[in-house]
Amino acid sequence: MAEQLINALSYPPIQRAAIACVLCGASCSLLSVFIVLMKMPLIGVSMSHAAFAGAVLGLLLNFDPFLSGLIVCLLVAGVLGPLSDRTDIAPENVLGIMFSFLMGVAFLGMGILTRTKAGALNLMWGSLLTLSASDIVILGLITSVLVLFVFFFFKEIRSVLFNRRLAASSGVPERLIYYALLFLTGAVVSSNLATVGGLLIFALLVQPGATALQLTYNLKHFFLISAASGIGACVSGLIVSYIFDLPSGASVVLMATTLFAAAYIFSPKRRSAKLRKRSISHEDVAR
Amino acid sequence: MNKNIIELSDITVRKVKNLLLDRISLSVSPNEFVGIIGPNGAGKTTLLNVIAGFERFEGTLNLFGQRETWARSRETRLRIAYVPQLFQIDPVFPISTLEAVMTGAVGRLRLFRSPGKQEREKAMRLMEMMRVAHLADRPLGQLSGGERQKVSLARAILQQPDILLMDEPTANLDIAVQKEVLNLINEIHKRETLTLLFVTHDFNMLPTAMRRAILMNHGKTVFDGDINTALSGEMLSRLFQYPLQTFERNGRRFVSYG
Repeated sequence: MAEQLINALSYPPIQRAAIACVLCGASCSLLSVFIVLMKMPLIGVSMSHAAFAGAVLGLLLNFDPFLSGLIVCLLVAGVLGPLSDRTDIAPENVLGIMFSFLMGVAFLGMGILTRTKAGALNLMWGSLLTLSASDIVILGLITSVLVLFVFFFFKEIRSVLFNRRLAASSGVPERLIYYALLFLTGAVVSSNLATVGGLLIFALLVQPGATALQLTYNLKHFFLISAASGIGACVSGLIVSYIFDLPSGASVVLMATTLFAAAYIFSPKRRSAKLRKRSISHEDVAR
Repeated sequence: MNKNIIELSDITVRKVKNLLLDRISLSVSPNEFVGIIGPNGAGKTTLLNVIAGFERFEGTLNLFGQRETWARSRETRLRIAYVPQLFQIDPVFPISTLEAVMTGAVGRLRLFRSPGKQEREKAMRLMEMMRVAHLADRPLGQLSGGERQKVSLARAILQQPDILLMDEPTANLDIAVQKEVLNLINEIHKRETLTLLFVTHDFNMLPTAMRRAILMNHGKTVFDGDINTALSGEMLSRLFQYPLQTFERNGRRFVSYG
């Protein structure tokens, strides 16, 4: 079987799919750290629908679907930032409204599209084997920007993740970090539309971070575990889909869920919390 | 030359049709310890938010002799530290107690520079002062409410501010822990050169070092002066619209809820 996989890797479309898998896993899982720790999973849903709606509009207007998806994502990020900073509207409500509006736009576009529905469906479910070299270059560039952002702004990121208001009050450019994060989410989601698709990308924006949350109290390790679980889910999902001839996007998401379930069951954090609870109740009895 | 570190003139804050602050004017001198006291909804936290730069406002605000708006420069933000009410943190959140304290130093560090040995030592010294040094490696989410408030104080002092704003820092804590936190605040006032603003609605839990009280109600100041004069039964009964009596012990006034 290993030989079969190595043989498959000699074909350029499979090579591109493998590279895209690693980049998709890395970029989505790094973002998922923010999404999980800031408790804003709706950002992932809103952005993936923005990218999807933009790409459908692109198909309708004979425009590059990646570019139109990216433009709509960046526009949504530009609107979301200032809106979620307003104290008279709850950020969850802003995201909920944005998400449903964009889904409406996407499905309206799908309804109008008559000839190229297959292209739109590819955007929804992803199609790893039809990726072009330029898709990979764009994905690589955006992933690099995200990695550099995390590396160079780690201390500011930690402050913002801990408490946005305290970060702002202690002179950290909190708004800049938050808005950069929104724009990067838009860029990552739109560049990954062709790999796992607009619907399934949401899973990769949440599950690697949720997996890391079960395993470590150290933020640096958190980023590394999240990236490893995201890349692991993408690569193993691709292998499973190749061997069993299954849809790649769905296989990737199911592998990510399996990794999360394993981390949850064997979580040392949960086990130590249980032990602590038990020792506290023993102390109570002793008293 | 103007000696006041904080000066508010006709500060008004509106939210939709509600007037949260109604033409507030006051000034605070360097190293003063001021209590802002009033019932819920009096505008105490909004006043603190205006000074901290969290709230848009109308009127004139001068900080350190400079006119300021809602949007602040990094330099001004660095000079004002903020200790919030006890806030919830996920018990599994990936941050240790020492790392949480060290977030106070991040604003002072240049871009691309990580907190080093110097910041770590300073943070540990402050954690010793706040009696939480033994918890340095413990995840912050596993600390009790009182311990977390002590961490908040250490984080704020590490910022090396000129003004320390505290928004009900003893709220939701046990009485013994409240007393301990108040003693630490007194110690901070004694050891650091700081102007302190302390918001509370509990007039029996005031730091002893506090000498001046500003009583607020319905977005206005109703009294500004000596703390012992502020704590008169008549004044507080009117403020809280509830019959209150005061008595004196060890040179301090306390309030009886009768």
